[in-house]
Amino acid sequence: MKKYWAIFKTQVVNSLAYPGEIIWRSMAILLFLWVFTFLWRVAFDTSAATTLSGLTLRDTLWYLMLAETIELSRPRFANTIAQSVKDGSIAYLLCKPYDFLLYQLSVNAGDTVFRLVLTFIFGGALIWGMVGAPPSPWGWPLTLIAFAAGWLINFCLTALIGLAAFVVEDVTPFTWIYQKLIFILGGMMIPLDFYPPWLQRISKALPFSYVMYGPARLFVSPDLERFTALLAGQLAWVAALGVLVSIAYRRGLRRLAINGG
Amino acid sequence: MEGSKSSMRRELKFLFAIWKANLQSAMEYHIAFIAQILGMMLNNAFYFLFWVIFFERFKEIRGWGLNDMFLVFGVTATSFGVTAFLFGNAFSLSDVIAQGRLDYYLSMPRPVLLHAVSARSIPSGMGDIIYGITSYLLSGYFSWGGLGRFVVGVILASTAFAAFLIIAHSLTFWLGNAAALARLLMNAILTFALYPITLFNGPAKFLLFTIVPAALMGSVPASLVRELTWQNLGGLFLGAAVLLGLAIVVFRLGLRRYESGSAIQVEV
Amino acid sequence: MTVIQISNLRKTFTTKRKAAGLGGSVRSIFRPQHQVVEAVRGISFDLGEGGRLGLIGPNGAGKSTTIKILTGILFPTEGEASVLGYVPWKERRQLAYHIGTVFGQRPQLWYHLPAIDTFQLFGKIYELEDKDVKQRISFLAEAFEIEDLLETPVRKLSLGQRMRCEIAASLIHRPKLLLLDEPSIGLDVVAKQRIRDTIRRMNEMENVSVLLTSHDAGDLEALCKRVIIINHGQIVYQDRVSNLKRRYLTTKEVGVRYARPIPKDFTMPDVNILKVGKYGVKLGFDTRQIPADVVLARLAESGDLVDITISDPSLEEVIAKIYQEVEGAKEAQA
Repeated sequence: MKKYWAIFKTQVVNSLAYPGEIIWRSMAILLFLWVFTFLWRVAFDTSAATTLSGLTLRDTLWYLMLAETIELSRPRFANTIAQSVKDGSIAYLLCKPYDFLLYQLSVNAGDTVFRLVLTFIFGGALIWGMVGAPPSPWGWPLTLIAFAAGWLINFCLTALIGLAAFVVEDVTPFTWIYQKLIFILGGMMIPLDFYPPWLQRISKALPFSYVMYGPARLFVSPDLERFTALLAGQLAWVAALGVLVSIAYRRGLRRLAINGG
Repeated sequence: MEGSKSSMRRELKFLFAIWKANLQSAMEYHIAFIAQILGMMLNNAFYFLFWVIFFERFKEIRGWGLNDMFLVFGVTATSFGVTAFLFGNAFSLSDVIAQGRLDYYLSMPRPVLLHAVSARSIPSGMGDIIYGITSYLLSGYFSWGGLGRFVVGVILASTAFAAFLIIAHSLTFWLGNAAALARLLMNAILTFALYPITLFNGPAKFLLFTIVPAALMGSVPASLVRELTWQNLGGLFLGAAVLLGLAIVVFRLGLRRYESGSAIQVEV
Repeated sequence: MTVIQISNLRKTFTTKRKAAGLGGSVRSIFRPQHQVVEAVRGISFDLGEGGRLGLIGPNGAGKSTTIKILTGILFPTEGEASVLGYVPWKERRQLAYHIGTVFGQRPQLWYHLPAIDTFQLFGKIYELEDKDVKQRISFLAEAFEIEDLLETPVRKLSLGQRMRCEIAASLIHRPKLLLLDEPSIGLDVVAKQRIRDTIRRMNEMENVSVLLTSHDAGDLEALCKRVIIINHGQIVYQDRVSNLKRRYLTTKEVGVRYARPIPKDFTMPDVNILKVGKYGVKLGFDTRQIPADVVLARLAESGDLVDITISDPSLEEVIAKIYQEVEGAKEAQA
C-alpha cells in the first residue's frame, strides 16, 4: 500500500508542474456557474415561487456549484488507458511490481486534489457572493466522504471505457456520451428533484447520480439518514463496478497475450 | 486589383486540395471516422435533453421556448462543426505555435494562417453538422427561405468562431503556450451561445457581443433564420468581418515574435 | 550568380526564466524574469549557383536558426540577406516557390497518407500542372529509388525510406535551392549514405544548390564542397572541404599485428606509440615529419606482419582540433 501512497503524493506535486494550466482549468467553473445564476434566477422568477421541489434558489445554486466542482475535478483518463492498450504498453507494465489499476487510481487521485480544491474555492467564492452563505458546515465532512465514494464510481466507469479499447478502435465517442450521461442522468445541469417522477426514479437507480447528485444534494441538505442511504448505495456500486473492471482488465490481457501487443 | 480575383481562385483551389487530403486521411480509418460522427450526434442529443427537461418544467424563459433552443442548437452546432471539419487545426493552434510547427507552413508559398488552420480536420465536426441541420429542421422554423438564411448564417457564424479561436490561440505568441486559456475562452463562447440570449442583460449582454462574441454564434444567426432584417444580417456580417480582420492582424503581429521552437518555451 | 548572400546576420531570442518549484512558478506569473539568448552573432557568407555548402557545429550553435532565417521562417534581429534575389522575411511567399526545404525533425509528408498523395498535394500547393506533377513524380521516384514505397502510408515506412520520400517531396517543384536541416538525423549508416548519394546526384543532374546543416561530419565529407563551422553563433572556420582535409588530415594511424610476440618496450623514432599489445602495436605519425613508406618499412623489419590497417583521423576529431585552435587563439589574445 505504501508505494501507492508514494505514487499519489508524487502526482500531487507533479500536477502543479503547469500552474497556468490548472488555474485556467479551474476558472472554467466561474464561467459555468455565472451562466447558471442567470438561468436559475429567471427560472425561479417566472415560477414566482421561493422553493421548487423543496429547493430554494440558494440551495439550487450551491447544489450546482458542488456538482460543477465534481464534474471539473473528475479525472479523464479513459484515453490514457486506451492509448496504453493500443500501443501495447499495458503489457510492459505487467512486469512492473505494481497493479496497473491501483497505479491508475493513485495517479488520478493525485491529479484530482488541487483541481478539487481550486475549483471549490473559485466556485464557492462566486456563489457566496451571488446568493449568500453555503449550507451548514457540519455536512461538509459527510459530503467529502460521499464525494470520495462517488469519485471511485467515476474511476471504475472511466476505466471501463478505457479498457473498451481492447475491442473498439476509438473510445473517444464513449467518453463524450459518458460525460453527457453524467450531465443529464447524474444531475449536473439540473437537480434531479426538478425531473418528472418517472425520470427521477430511473436516474436515481443508475450509478451516474451516485457520482454527482448524491454528494451535491447531501451538501445542501446534510442529514445522517440521507448520508447512510447514499453511502450504502455508493459502496454497492463501487463493489459491483470494481469487480467488473478487474474482470475486463484480466480478459483484455488474455486477449492481448493471444493476439500479441 | 486585376490579380486579386485570380489569386482568390488560386487560394480556393489550394484549399480544396488540402480538404481533399484531409478527407483521405480520415478515410484511412473509416470505422473510427463513422464512430466519431455518430458519437458526436448522440453526444449533442444527450446534451440537448437538458433543455427538453428544463422546458418541460418551465415552459418559457422570457419569451424563449424549446423550439428556439432547437434553432439555436441547430445554428451553433452546425457552425461549430463547419469550423471543426474544415479548419480543425484552429483548435490546436497554440500547440502548433509553441512547438514550432509553423515552420512547415512558413516554408510553403501559401498564406500561412489559412494553410495552418485548414491542415487538419476534426472528423466529429461532420457529426455536429448533421446534428445541427437536423435540429434546425425539427425546430418548427423551417422554410425554404429560412434554409437559405440558415446557410448564410452558418457561414458567417463559423467564420466568426474560427476568427475567435485564432485570436485566442495567437496569445501563445506573447504568453507562451496558451492552450489552456484558449480552451477556457472557447468553452465560454460555446456555453454562452447555447443559452437563451434573453437571460442576459446590461454588462453581460455587452460582453456577449464584444469580448466573448457568443451572440454571433448563437442568437444573432438564429434570429436571422427566423426573420431577415438588415440589422440581423448586417450585424452578423460586420461582426464576422471585424473578427476575421482582427484575427489576421493579431496573427501577423504574433508571427514577428515567432521563435520556431528555437527558444525554450515555458508554459503559462 | 550568387544564390545566397548574407551579411552580418544576428538573431536574439528572449526567453522566460522560471525558478524551480511551485514558488518559482507563482513568481514567474507576476514578475517574469527574462533572459536574452544570442543565437546568431554576425554571420556572413555566400553560396554560388550549384554549390554544396555545409554548416556544421554542435547543438545550439545557431545552424538551424540561420537556415530558418534564410527560408523566411524567422525574422532576423539585424543584418541583411538575399536568397535567389529575395529578402526572405519580406518576400517569403515568392521565395517559397523557388526553394525546397527539409527539416529532419519536422516531417512534411502527411503521416496517414501514402507519399504520392502528399506529392500531388504539393503539386497543387506549388501550382503545377497535373501532367507535370505526374512526370516529375515518376522521375523522382526513379532517382530516389522509391517507386515501391509511394503507395504505402507514410506511417508504415522506415525512417530512412521516409527521409528519401521527404527529400523527393521537397524537389517536386524543381527548386533552385535546397535547404536541409539535419537531413541525416537518426538514420543508420547505410541509410545516411543513400541519402547523401541522392542529394549529390540531384545537385549534379539539376544544378540545384544545396545548403545543409548537420552535426555529423560524415555529411560534409561525403556531400559538401565547402564547409562553414559555427559555434556559439559565430563562424569559426570556413574553407573548401578538400583544403580542410589537406590542412588537417596530415596525421595517420597505423595498426599492425605480428606472427610472433613482440617485446614490451617496442620503440621507433619520430612516431607516436599509442598502444603496445602482446602481438600488435598501434602508432600515429605526421606525414610532414616522416614519410609513410619509411614507417611501414621499419615496421616490416621488426617481424613477420600478419595484418596492417592505416586510417585517417575522423573529421570529427579534426573539427574538435579546429575548435581547440580557435579557443586557444582567443585565449592567447586575451
